[in-house]
Amino acid sequence: MQRLGERELRVLELKDIRKTFDDLAGGHWVLAEGLNLQVPSGSTVAVLGPSGSGKSTLLKIIAGLEPQDSGTVSFDGVDLARVPPERRRFALMFQDFALFAHLNVRDNVAFGLVEQGLGRAVARERALAMLVVFGLAERARFKVWKLSGGEQQRVALARALITEPRLLLLDEPFSALDAQLRAGLRDEFAQHIAQRRIATVLVTHDEAEARAMAQRGYRLTAGHLHQAW
Amino acid sequence: MGMGRTTWGWPAVGLALVPALFLGLVMLAPLWRLALEARAGASWQMVAELWRDDYLRWRVSWSFLQAGATCVAALVLALPVSWALARFHFPGRALVLRLLMLPFVVPTLVAAMGVLALWGPRGWISGWIGIDLQDTPWLLLYGNLFFNLCLVVRAGVEALGQVSAARVAAARTLGATPWRVFWRVEWPAIVPWLASALCLVFLYCLSGFGLALVLGGQRYATVEVEIYTLVAHELKLAQAGVLALCMALLTGLIALAYAWIEQRLAAPGRADAIALRPPAGPGAWCAVAGALLVLGFFCAAPLLAIGIRAATAGPDAWSHVFDEESLRAIWNTLRFTAMALLLATVLGVTHALAARRSIWLRAGAFLPFIVSPVTVAFGLLLMYPGWSASLSMLVAAYALLAYPFVAKSLGAALDVQPEHLTQAARTLGATPWRLFWRVTLPLAMPSLRRGMAFAAATALGEFAVTLFLSRPEWATLTTLIYERLGRPGAGNRDDALVLAAVLMLLSLLVFLLIEQPGSGRRDAAFGRAGAARA
Amino acid sequence: MLRKTFSIWATTVVASAALAATPVSAQELRVLVHNSFSLPKPMLAQFESESGIKLGIIKGGDAGEMLNKLILTRAQPIADVVFGIDNALVAKAEAANVLEAYTGAAATRASVVPLKGPIVAVDYGYVNLNYDKAWFAKSGLALPKSLDDLAQPAYRDLLVVQNPATSSPGYAFLLATVAGMGDAAAFDWWARMRANGVKVAKGWSEAYYTEFSRNGGSRPLVVSYASSPAAEVFYSKEKLTVPPTGNLFLKGGVMRQVEGVALVRGGQNREAAARFIEFMRSRPVQEALQTTMWMFAAEPGVARPDVLRHASEPVQFEDPASDLVASKGADWVSRWTRVVLK
Repeated sequence: MQRLGERELRVLELKDIRKTFDDLAGGHWVLAEGLNLQVPSGSTVAVLGPSGSGKSTLLKIIAGLEPQDSGTVSFDGVDLARVPPERRRFALMFQDFALFAHLNVRDNVAFGLVEQGLGRAVARERALAMLVVFGLAERARFKVWKLSGGEQQRVALARALITEPRLLLLDEPFSALDAQLRAGLRDEFAQHIAQRRIATVLVTHDEAEARAMAQRGYRLTAGHLHQAW
Repeated sequence: MGMGRTTWGWPAVGLALVPALFLGLVMLAPLWRLALEARAGASWQMVAELWRDDYLRWRVSWSFLQAGATCVAALVLALPVSWALARFHFPGRALVLRLLMLPFVVPTLVAAMGVLALWGPRGWISGWIGIDLQDTPWLLLYGNLFFNLCLVVRAGVEALGQVSAARVAAARTLGATPWRVFWRVEWPAIVPWLASALCLVFLYCLSGFGLALVLGGQRYATVEVEIYTLVAHELKLAQAGVLALCMALLTGLIALAYAWIEQRLAAPGRADAIALRPPAGPGAWCAVAGALLVLGFFCAAPLLAIGIRAATAGPDAWSHVFDEESLRAIWNTLRFTAMALLLATVLGVTHALAARRSIWLRAGAFLPFIVSPVTVAFGLLLMYPGWSASLSMLVAAYALLAYPFVAKSLGAALDVQPEHLTQAARTLGATPWRLFWRVTLPLAMPSLRRGMAFAAATALGEFAVTLFLSRPEWATLTTLIYERLGRPGAGNRDDALVLAAVLMLLSLLVFLLIEQPGSGRRDAAFGRAGAARA
Repeated sequence: MLRKTFSIWATTVVASAALAATPVSAQELRVLVHNSFSLPKPMLAQFESESGIKLGIIKGGDAGEMLNKLILTRAQPIADVVFGIDNALVAKAEAANVLEAYTGAAATRASVVPLKGPIVAVDYGYVNLNYDKAWFAKSGLALPKSLDDLAQPAYRDLLVVQNPATSSPGYAFLLATVAGMGDAAAFDWWARMRANGVKVAKGWSEAYYTEFSRNGGSRPLVVSYASSPAAEVFYSKEKLTVPPTGNLFLKGGVMRQVEGVALVRGGQNREAAARFIEFMRSRPVQEALQTTMWMFAAEPGVARPDVLRHASEPVQFEDPASDLVASKGADWVSRWTRVVLK
C-alpha cells in the first residue's frame, strides 16, 4: 500500500537478514548478519563492497533465488517468503548479460511477455517496439552473440524493462564493458529507470559509478550494511 | 561455490518417481522375487564357499583386469582422436560421428565374423602382413576396443565442445603452448564427461557383452558366464543370487565412486565454445588423418569387412531381403526401436533432472548395467509370468538398457549449463516447468539428441534382450540374423551378412533422423553465445 | 520447430505401433519351443484354421534354458504344450513335475526311436564331430580314428567344442564322452585335450561361424550335428552335390538326441494341445521338419528327402540313461569346467 505524501514510501524492505555459507573446503562464511535495508519507491540504492563480500548473494536473496537463513524480505508490506521468483516481478541483470543463446534478440526481449501469458505474435510486436526505443531495431533478428557487449547489455535491459518489473536488481552490470562504454550506458540506464520510476538496487565495486547512479549508498562489510551517503 | 543444496519440493519428488518406479517394477521387483526364491538355499556358508573358490576369484579378478585394461587403452586412444574431431572441421565429419555408433548396432557374432575376415587365418589383413592374431590377448583388446572406443570418443568430442574459448585464449596469452593448454585447461574441463563414459565402458567389459568373448573363447569369459550358467542352465538360484549380489555390490561401488566424482567436478560452464575450424597446416591434417586411421582400424574395419562381404554376396542373398520374413523383421526393428526410444527418452529426461540433486540417483543411472541381465530376465519371468511374452515387457526391456545413455548425456549437459540463464529466466517470470521447457531443454538439446542416438543404437542392437521370451512374429533383424547363423550353409551365412548390412544402413538412417544434419554447425553456433565482440 | 517435427513423428509411430501390437488372447494355444524350432508357415496356418485356435509360439532359448524357465514358472505355467525336451532332459522335467502324460493316439503309436517319459517323440538327431574336407585334403593329415588320437600332438589346436554349460550340443558331446569312456577316462581325456589346445566357444553359432575353418576360422574339427553336411549342401551357394564337410563318428563322440512334445502340467486348452501333439506327429509335419529343423523323423515310414542322404547315420552312439543324466549332469559340467577352463 503506497501512501503518497511527505513520508518516504518504503517499497522493498529487508529485515534482520542472516545468511551464512559453508564452502567445500570447510570454511564458514557469514555473508549477512542482522542486515537491514529499505529501498524507497522510485529510488536507486547502491550496495558497495569488494568482490566476494556477498553482494550478489544479497541480490539473489531479494529475487528469491536463494533462501536466507533467517529474516524477512517484504515488498509493499507483503512478506515474500512464500512467493517464488517468477511471481515477484523483480528483474535481475548480470555482468555476463545472460542472454538466451537459442533465441534471437527480439525473442529474448519477448521472453518475459510470453511468460506473462501474452501470445507470441503480440509479444514479438511489443519487443520490436521496445527495441526501437533502444535503437536496436535493425538487430532484432540477429543471434545474440553477434552483438557487441554494450549492445547485449542493452538488450538485457530491454528484456527486463518490457515486463514492467516492480524492482530492478543490477549485479555489476557494466563490469564487463570498457570505461568509455560504461559511462554512456550508465546514463542510458539511469534515464530508463528514472522514466519508469522503478526502484533499483545496484550492486557494484565501483564507487564513482555508484555515486553517479544512486541516491543512497551502502557498504557491505562484515555482514552489515553501513550507509555511506 | 559448488552446487548448492536444494530442497526436495514436490515437483522434484514427482520427477524422481518416474525412473524410480520404472526401475522398481522392471528391475528391482523381479530381483527381489528371485532373491526370495534363492533365499531358501542361500547361507553365509555359501558366500564363504564361493569366495574360497580359486576359480571364481580368478574369474572376478580377470573380469576386472580386462575391463581396466580396456578403459586405459580406450582413454589413451580416444583423447587425441576426440580432440582432432572436436577442433577441426573437415568434409564428412558429421558422417564420421554417426558411423561411430555402428559398432553398437551390429550383433556381436556378425562383428566377430567381420574381425575374422580381417584377422583370421585367411584374413585379408593378416594374410597380407603375415601374422595370425587368433587366440592372442591382442585380439581380445581389439574386440573390446571395437565396441567401446566409440563411446569414449563421442563423450570426448561432446566434452571438448563445452570448453570455454575465453579460458583457452587466456591461457595462450599467459604463455601456454597448445599442448599445455590441453593439459591445464581442456583436460580438467572434460574429465567428468570422460569419467562417465569410462565407467560405462568398465561396466560393459565386466558384464561380458563382448566381442572379446566370442573372439577369445570361453577361457576368457567373465563372471557373467558363471551367473548365466547357474541361473539359466542349472537353476541354482541361491548360488547365482549370491554371486550376482556380490558382483552388483562391487560394481555398484564403482558406479557410486564415479557419481561422487562427477558431482564434485560438475561446474557451470561459460557458454562460449571453441569454434570448429578447418585444419590449417600439415600438423593439423596429420592429426585428422591419424584420428581417422585409428577409428578406421578399430571400429570401421570389421564393419567394412561385413559390408564388402554383404555387397559381394550376390543377387540371390539380396533378393531375400524382400521376403515377407525380412520385411516384417525390418518393420519390427523400426517400431520397437521407436517405442523403446520414446520410453527411454521420458525416463532419461526425468532421471537427469532428478539426479542433479542426488548422488544415489546419479549412480542409479548405471543400475541396468550393474546387474546381470540373465538374473533380471529370470526374475521377470518369476514376477510376471503372464506378462513375460508380452510386447510391453519387451519394450520395457529395451528401454531399461537404453535409457542410461539419455540420462547420462543430458545430465552432463545440465551440469554445465550456466546458472545465470536459469536465474534470468526465473526473474522474467518463468515457473520451473516453463524454465525447463523454454530454456534448459532447448539449450541441452544437442546433448539430449546424442543421448537418444545412443539409446536408439542400443535398441537396434538388442543387447541381451534375446534372453527374454520372444515370439516369432516379433522377430527383428537381429533375431533373424541369429536364426540364420543357427544353421550351417553358405547361403545362411550370406543371408546373415546381408541382413547385417541392412541393419547398419537402417541405423544410419535412424541416427540421421535423430541428430538432424546441420546440427553440427548449429551446436558450434550455440557455443559462441557468450563471446562478446569487442 | 525441431521438437515439433520429432514429437509428431514419434507420436504417429507409437500410435501405429500400439495399434499393431497383438494382445495375448485367452483363446490361444501357447507352445513353448526352443530357438531352433522351425516349421513352414503355411503348415502352421493350416493347423490354426483347422483347429480353430490361434497358435502362440514362445521361444525360450535353448533346450536346457527352456526347461528351466518351465520349471521356474510351474506355479503359473507360461505355456500349454512344450516342444524340444530331449532324452537328456526328460528326467529332470519329470522330477520337477512340469509335464503331464498324454494318452492320445500319437503316444500309443510306435516311433523309430524310443523316448521314455510323459512325452511323445517327434524327431531325433546325432551330435558328433564334423570335419572340413578342404582343410584335411590340403594338410594331408589323416582323419583321427578315435578320441584318443585327438589328444595326440599331431592334432594339436584342431578342435573347437562348445561350453556344455551354455550350449546344448556342447552338453550332448560331454555326455557322450562320459558315457563312452566312463567318468575317470573321460575327464582324463578332457584334461589332455586342454593341454592339446582345444578351443571352447560359447555356442554352436560361435563355434561354427567363427572358429570352424570352413567359415574362415582356424579349426577344422567342430562339434555339430550329423545333419550339418546335408544342410551345407542344401544351403550352398554354388549348388554343391557333395558336402564340403563330413561326419566323424568316433567312439565316445556321438550322442543321439531324441526330442519330443509334451503337455505342460497346469496348462489350458487341453483339447487344442492334444491336437497339436497329433499335428507334430502327422506325416506332413514329419516330412517338413527334416529340412527345416534338420532332424530325422520319429514317425515310422516317413519319406526322407534326397538331400538327407548326405547326413550319414552312425552305427554306434551313446544314449545315457535319463535319470543318470538328471542326477549327475550338473556335476559333470562343473567338473568339466574345472578341468578344461580353470
